[in-house]
Amino acid sequence: MKTRMVLPFIAALAVATASAAELRIGAATINITPDKPVALDGQFNTRISRGVDNPLTATAVAIEAREGDRCVDQAILLSADIVVFRQPIPGPLRERLRAKLPEFDARKLVMTATHTHTSACTDKGSYDIPKDGVMQPAEYAAFLVERLVEVCTRAWTQRKPGGVSWGLGHAVVGHNRRAVYADGTAKMYGATDDPKFRGIEGGEDHGLELLFFWDKQKKLLATGINVECPSQEVEGRSTINADFWHDVREQLKGMFVLGWPGACGDLSPHRMYRKAAEERMLKLRGLTCTQDIGRRISREVKDVCELTKRDIHTDVPFAHKVEDLALPVRKVTEKEVAEAQKEIEALKKKDDKSSRGAWFQRTIDRFQTQDKEPTFTVEVHVLRIGDIAIATNPFELFHDYGTQMKARSKAEQTFVIELTGGWGRYLPTTRAVAGGGYSAVVQSSMIGPEGGQGLVDRTVEMINAMWPK
Amino acid sequence: MRHLKNLLFPYVMVFALGLVLSPVGAAELWFGAATADITPNPPVPLTGNSSVRIARDIESRLTANVLALESHEGSRVVDQAIMVSCDLCVIRPGIQEGFRKHLAGRLPGFDLNKLFLAATHTHAAPVIQQDRYDEKDYGDALQPKEYVPWLYERMAQAVVKAWKGRAKGAVAWGLGHAVTSHNRRMVYADGTAKMYGTVNTPEFRGIEGYEDHGVHVLCFYDSQKRLKAAAITMATTAQAAGGNKVSSDFWDDARRLIRERHGKDVCVLGFCAAAGDQTPRAHVNKRSEDRMCKLRDLTYGKEIGRRVAAAFDDEAGVIAKDIRADVPFIHRAKQIELPARIITEAEYAVAKKACEEIDSRKTRQKTDAWARHFYGLVVERYLAQQKGGWKTCAMELHVLRLGDVAIATNPFELFVDYGVQIQARSPAVQTFLIQLAASGPLPAYYVPTPRAMAGGSLNEKLFTNYSATASHNIVGSEGAQVLVEQTVAEIKDLWKPSAKQP
Repeated sequence: MKTRMVLPFIAALAVATASAAELRIGAATINITPDKPVALDGQFNTRISRGVDNPLTATAVAIEAREGDRCVDQAILLSADIVVFRQPIPGPLRERLRAKLPEFDARKLVMTATHTHTSACTDKGSYDIPKDGVMQPAEYAAFLVERLVEVCTRAWTQRKPGGVSWGLGHAVVGHNRRAVYADGTAKMYGATDDPKFRGIEGGEDHGLELLFFWDKQKKLLATGINVECPSQEVEGRSTINADFWHDVREQLKGMFVLGWPGACGDLSPHRMYRKAAEERMLKLRGLTCTQDIGRRISREVKDVCELTKRDIHTDVPFAHKVEDLALPVRKVTEKEVAEAQKEIEALKKKDDKSSRGAWFQRTIDRFQTQDKEPTFTVEVHVLRIGDIAIATNPFELFHDYGTQMKARSKAEQTFVIELTGGWGRYLPTTRAVAGGGYSAVVQSSMIGPEGGQGLVDRTVEMINAMWPK
Repeated sequence: MRHLKNLLFPYVMVFALGLVLSPVGAAELWFGAATADITPNPPVPLTGNSSVRIARDIESRLTANVLALESHEGSRVVDQAIMVSCDLCVIRPGIQEGFRKHLAGRLPGFDLNKLFLAATHTHAAPVIQQDRYDEKDYGDALQPKEYVPWLYERMAQAVVKAWKGRAKGAVAWGLGHAVTSHNRRMVYADGTAKMYGTVNTPEFRGIEGYEDHGVHVLCFYDSQKRLKAAAITMATTAQAAGGNKVSSDFWDDARRLIRERHGKDVCVLGFCAAAGDQTPRAHVNKRSEDRMCKLRDLTYGKEIGRRVAAAFDDEAGVIAKDIRADVPFIHRAKQIELPARIITEAEYAVAKKACEEIDSRKTRQKTDAWARHFYGLVVERYLAQQKGGWKTCAMELHVLRLGDVAIATNPFELFVDYGVQIQARSPAVQTFLIQLAASGPLPAYYVPTPRAMAGGSLNEKLFTNYSATASHNIVGSEGAQVLVEQTVAEIKDLWKPSAKQP
């Protein structure tokens, strides 16, 4: 398997293995809720928002490591309540930051989407959106870029000497959502009370990777919460909603929260079995599901925060590498093209207005270009902060890949953050491709298991290069 | 070859009597609970590993915790059950039946077929059957033949106390979560799998199966709504602590913390749900877990106990809003037959050769007795199967309905996928599974999934694809599916309106 670095980004100030330096930290948060109805992102069908359940936010933490007057390395970690960071957001955002913060290398902006499916669409081609009375995607995108520039700028300009601590907690939040059947097929959200049901395809990771940012007086500035679950419990609604991250933030009042989804392409907060027992417990607690997830996460965050407060580091090794990694595309077969054509015809007959037709059409288009464009380039960030590593990718990355990265990492604790720096769609495993179903079929993924392994291998190399051999 | 028919005959007779349909209408619930200390004085031979370890110290006490249940409609007994959770590795073949015999005549009015023993699977408990270790390794340590009668009497006293002490009470149930164990089977690029395999290798591709982190709780209250007993089941075997001391593993801390917070007399029954491929051992996040334990100043075993107790705390306060005194209660105990895993000619050849090599060794190796036992069993089963025997495996199945809760037992180390299937298809609001329970006259061992069986075949290294090869599977995936179907059918039967009629 060949992977190659298309644009190896070698920051002038970056070092291969990190040395200890003084940390300067700033944090800020901002409201990114549109003030008009918008098209909601994340589903095949068009949904126009009918109100706001709770605010969408973006949070930024700026980190700079300094040795005297010299900047050793830097990062702005940005997390926003949107489905994915796709164009036209990343490019214009970086351009604006270059102009506004010349001392900050805009490539070192780490943009993560929490994947809430009840946030505004930023892509004009996705849905059939009424022109009147609805904020158009381009308008929302411009508003969003403006707000993101502001929150990054505030975080960067407010940075002051501070420290970090980290820890591992546990909260059962995300569940593997792919049911496997006796005939070997798999289905996302497939029925589990079916006699042919044989089990859940993959695993789950209920570890909460937690990174705390402190000021010099040991006052908590912000927390990075890496949970292996996209925020889509209320994904079917037609109201604006930050999903469970809103409840986490509510229950951690006063704390700026960076919501970081782990490798959870095959996970979601939806329960696959024991639904009646879970529902009953929610009723007894008087909580909604997102409130209960907020309760589970915030309880652990508070517990681990107290524990790791004894272990705050102000002068840890810090390094941040960014690579544009070219991964081999998943090749569309002739059979898959024929199937896609058949599906498109069937959708036309049904006068289907959803984006399903476009979803199949993209597969046919790929077939035409895949020989000329055999690779798909993705942005990968790897950071070392003390004994922890943070590794990002733009996919809905299946759990197994995250497990491999963590297992092979030299870091004491490894944060794997997906949906960062763009959107690479699902990245399924070999067993998922064999089982089929949404999220594993070719329409759902640009990159297949071959590219997945390339991503893992290169990410692990990048992490381990930051630690002594 | 064992004389299966002779061994099974008393069971079949006994269970034929137990098949009388019981009514499921709401009735007054009576319960009693008691605890027995079953810790022997060291030196003690410990079971669970491939060679015997002699414990000369006690890390924590071993207990047997007993819950007696009976439902009444006026003066009429509707149904009954006695469950015993034991800090033992496995309820070895014949132990439960021996215990029932030991109890004969001591529980007036109780049908002994409605009692079952279950093991927490602590690997730091005494050997209770002399079949897999070399007696020469025991030295001055306690022999199973000395320990078992003493164990029976200790447990019998607790059972009698729980049964005689039963009184009108109430029950509540709930589901919580705790990350107490992880799937322990690693899969590699070449398709092989290994229990506790290396994860920091480029060939590592992921963890084979799913993980279940549900903590199912049943709480029993006296007439003043004071908590008196709690049964907890979760897909976690008691093998976090390890070591060479007698230990009840994380259950010791879990029980202590629960009693400190909920009442010093609370009897805590620890059960293990389907967890053949899941144990309380960190793999992928090991260094991070170790650091957190250090920050908490706890061993990993104690940390697991803390998490279990925390999950219990979290649930107990919530479910106390829904305490019920008049729930449907029904208990069925029956014998079922599962297709056995068929030994192939290749497996027989491997096992035969391994036996011959062990038998021919002049110098005995530490794990020889254990390996000889398992390879020998493969040979024995193959030869029996060639003559038409050992094609099925008989097991005792207990299925209970208590309010909206179903409880189902099996004697195996049942892989998580099967537990998920049973829970997913059960009509009960909540389904408690208890593995390593109600063991019969035959060994049970692991019950693997098809994907686990595909991870490697029996060879000269007994740990190759350990837990999913013929050496450690009396029942394979075919039999497991029958177990799932039968268990689900039995549970469904308890939810039929007709089951309400006596």
